[in-house]
Amino acid sequence: MINVVFLLLIFFLMAARIAPPPPFDITLPSAAGETPLGEGAILFAAADGTLSFAGQSGAASLTALQTQAPERLSLRADAAFPAPELAALLADLAALGVASVDLAIQTP
Amino acid sequence: MLALPPFRRSRRPSLTPMIDVVFLLLVFFMLASQFGQDSALTLSPAGGDAQYSGPPRLVEIGPETLRLNGALVSEAALAGALRPLTQGVEDVIVLRSADGTSLQRLIDIAQSLRAAGFASLAVAP
Repeated sequence: MINVVFLLLIFFLMAARIAPPPPFDITLPSAAGETPLGEGAILFAAADGTLSFAGQSGAASLTALQTQAPERLSLRADAAFPAPELAALLADLAALGVASVDLAIQTP
Repeated sequence: MLALPPFRRSRRPSLTPMIDVVFLLLVFFMLASQFGQDSALTLSPAGGDAQYSGPPRLVEIGPETLRLNGALVSEAALAGALRPLTQGVEDVIVLRSADGTSLQRLIDIAQSLRAAGFASLAVAP
């Protein structure tokens, strides 16, 4: 039995990907897509338009983003995130030097 | 006098505490791990290399409505109405969302345009 348990333990160690929990409830928008989500820095966006990055929320999140300056960013935005703010956010990210944004979706 | 035999430690140490710890680790990793890769749509904030050319192609997305260059158009007719305005798939189509539009709605419209063969979509503030 201990052998099997060790085997399971090793399996979970290898297969697991420990992700930081989102700072607020996020329901990803659903869409069809095959591209896997890239690893790296994650920017969270809540339904009410609040941003959060690396534990900083609000305007401080963009400042934190500026100091880290990732080239590739994962954006986990709620399905109800206001679309006009997304456009403004993309413009802000372009100004910060982010070259590519992966918008996380859930496939139906 | 009572002569006790000398206390001898067991040759084989008990495995029970180790099994306990291993179980604890196992349960921790089962709960903390996240399986299944999320999918992603890749956006380039700096804009693609495509240059805008040709007649205006501005799709304004409202919570319920859809306007192409200011004229109301239904969601089903949008792709057909855009077709005469484009030369090829690389022609840029500008998407602008009105206040109150959700991200889900923007993605839905973008995906239907993508499915209709328009590859180059730009999200304008």
